[in-house]
Amino acid sequence: MKESLLDIICCPLDKAELELEVHEREGEEILEGSLTCTDCGETYPIEDGIPNLLPPDMREAA
Amino acid sequence: MTDLADRRGIETDVYQPAEDSHLLATVAAEQVDEDNLVLEVGTGSGYVAERVAGETGARVVASDLNPHACRAARDRGVEVVRADLLDPIRTDTCDVVLFNPPYLPTEEGEEWDDWMEVALSGGETGRAVIDPFLGNVGRVLAPDGYVLLLVSSLTGVEAVVETAAESGFSAVALRDESYPFESLTVLKLHR
Repeated sequence: MKESLLDIICCPLDKAELELEVHEREGEEILEGSLTCTDCGETYPIEDGIPNLLPPDMREAA
Repeated sequence: MTDLADRRGIETDVYQPAEDSHLLATVAAEQVDEDNLVLEVGTGSGYVAERVAGETGARVVASDLNPHACRAARDRGVEVVRADLLDPIRTDTCDVVLFNPPYLPTEEGEEWDDWMEVALSGGETGRAVIDPFLGNVGRVLAPDGYVLLLVSSLTGVEAVVETAAESGFSAVALRDESYPFESLTVLKLHR
């Protein structure tokens, strides 16, 4: 994902802003990292460049 | 009858572009402006998102519930997030929302427990996914934003238009195409 995606996405639970933590970057693309809700504190993983913004109860089941 | 099994083919992980995808992509490419922010919900293979981005120059962000679809779309160069419909999209952001929903009416017990079922089945009415989408899409649309929704005659265009009206949308049919077992319509929904 690109950092500019942060202007479009939010926490799926409470719609608050997300804070990005980058673990691996390739140019503009963030390949590995996490997104943490600035309100509820829930953390969402970024894997292979794809942020997984499913709520925690759907993350494992789906 | 259009049987889910026929539509399913041999692909079981990601819905591949078909007549409905082509129709939605063609109409969207005509409607979208270069400076629009476009969201495609349930992008599947990423075909529609890729075409609209390529033909209009607009920024297109796509979402899908299915991890295989997310990877397929990303492989096409589409900006993708894994999401349940519109849940992680900010309020008042999208100029255009595109959706080719799972719409085939499915009897209970006729369903498969795999990703292709999620891509195709709209429950008993065919509107099990469309209805919650219509209830929530207003939140993410920018003030002058609109929705391009693909609807099949199998799902009932009138019923979809009525549900959209309950959420404050007017509907215009931009394009109809007839096929042996269904006709497909692209609806433009605006407030």
